[in-house]
Amino acid sequence: MKRKVAKDVILHAVMIILALIWIYPYVWMFISSFKVPNEIFGKFIPTKLTLEHYKFIFFMSKKLERPFIRAFLNSVFISVVVTLSVMFFSALVAYPLSKLKFGGGKAIFNFIIFQMLFPGFMFIIPLFVLIRKLHLLNTYSAMIVPYLMSAWGVFMMTQAYKSIPNDYIEAAKIDGAKTLWIIFKVLLPLVRGTVSIVGLFTFISIWDNFMWPLIVVKDYNKMPLAVLLATFHHEYASYVGPLLAGSVLQTIPMIVIFIIFRKQFLKGISMSFK
Amino acid sequence: MSLRRREKALGWGIVSIYLFYTAIFWGYPFVWMLILAFTKWNFFGKPRFMGFYNFIRLFKDPIFWQVFLNTLKFMLYFLPMVFVGAMLFAIALNKMKYFKSFVALSFLVANVSSGVAYSIIFENIFSDIGPINKFLYDHFGVTIPWFSSPSLAMLTIAIMVTWKFIGYYGLILYSGLQAIPKSLYEAAELDGATRWVKFWKITLPLINPAVVTVLVLAINLSFGIFTEPYMITGGGPMNKTLTFMMYMYNTAFRRINPSYATAIAIITALINFGIILLVRKTVEKEVSIV
Repeated sequence: MKRKVAKDVILHAVMIILALIWIYPYVWMFISSFKVPNEIFGKFIPTKLTLEHYKFIFFMSKKLERPFIRAFLNSVFISVVVTLSVMFFSALVAYPLSKLKFGGGKAIFNFIIFQMLFPGFMFIIPLFVLIRKLHLLNTYSAMIVPYLMSAWGVFMMTQAYKSIPNDYIEAAKIDGAKTLWIIFKVLLPLVRGTVSIVGLFTFISIWDNFMWPLIVVKDYNKMPLAVLLATFHHEYASYVGPLLAGSVLQTIPMIVIFIIFRKQFLKGISMSFK
Repeated sequence: MSLRRREKALGWGIVSIYLFYTAIFWGYPFVWMLILAFTKWNFFGKPRFMGFYNFIRLFKDPIFWQVFLNTLKFMLYFLPMVFVGAMLFAIALNKMKYFKSFVALSFLVANVSSGVAYSIIFENIFSDIGPINKFLYDHFGVTIPWFSSPSLAMLTIAIMVTWKFIGYYGLILYSGLQAIPKSLYEAAELDGATRWVKFWKITLPLINPAVVTVLVLAINLSFGIFTEPYMITGGGPMNKTLTFMMYMYNTAFRRINPSYATAIAIITALINFGIILLVRKTVEKEVSIV
């Protein structure tokens, strides 16, 4: 019995130390972004704190044509629009696929699965050709429009609706509910978990999307933060402090969202295999 | 009758929104992908039909084979590291009683890091004067050229990506572990099964779906790597960290050869798909708890 307790203590100690090692890169980034330049690599615990790196990216970088605040807002705008759109259309399109008999549901559902077989990278160059033909290069639309609907989102919502008994819909219909009311007031509240997983994963993937905006946007005023940070890194790699401050800016929203929605996140992970 | 017709109209009405959108942003690019792969084009003028020229050129292209080897090398480092790591993590987490969510969330938070930001962090942590080399120098008197040595750079990138994904994959395996009924282990213990036997005969077969999921995700990831080498090494030193995605990007947008780049994308997807099929065939098993 004593040996078991000792083993348990060691296990817990090792895992907690490992957990601390795992968050060390974040902690290092966060602390270093407040250090004076010659201490960034010198000491882990700084002797004095400074806001100069944040001042630099917030106020001075504009003169270098690197508007960090604007890029941050661009990222927020693009990610929010795409996320809301994906949630809305997934909830809408999944309804006929799961609950209506219209003689095509099964074929279309299979087509959606077929779509998901193709990795996104195959479409990058042809999609660029399309966006160029539509004269959308260097616009917000180029970063938003190709992501407005998602096969994966429709798939997830269809599966979720299927698990809900039709009685709910019948009852609502007897009360005289219209289609949109049924979808957004009856079904959606019942599958809140799946909706938030769809929204959460979409937001994170758009916020973190890098290659596509790198290709379609060259105008510094329209760049999302990830791309602006990358171009800044390419030209001013020795500005470690401001780079780290920019990285904090890029990381913080994701960590906040992660902490708020951690339960949905964990649920989404255990749903990733059937 | 009219009710059924109305349902039909409503169904097609809603679905057609999706079909219309998909036709433009999926179907049209799909057709262009095929056009590009069999032609020569530089974004201007008309594509010229070339048959299989792009694909034949690909098989004679030494850089393409270098990229192929780089990716295999990456998988050789990444798959065992992340799989064993995630497995140990899942087993340990399953045994923990306290601080469970703290540990799980600390590992998982690595996964939500933005690709660009975490590349910047790791570039500095692993840099010649960064904290890891400082630690090694202070205690062992050596420094390691993590990103500048041609033979090490890919390993370092694999370590970074492992850091990012152990928590995520570990939790997939963990939710597999939790579905195993405890009574199975008790029965095995009565039969005198050792820990190893229990792991190989009960645990591993019963979490097979989770294992397959993790392997598939990890392989797909290996073919999609772009941000880390783009940010940190630029594909160097000596093209040793050039990945399929970087090669495709460079070919299309730096060397302005979208048709050859599309051929690269198609072959990459085929290799990726082939390896997945192979893994599924060897690893996937039908499991059921009787």
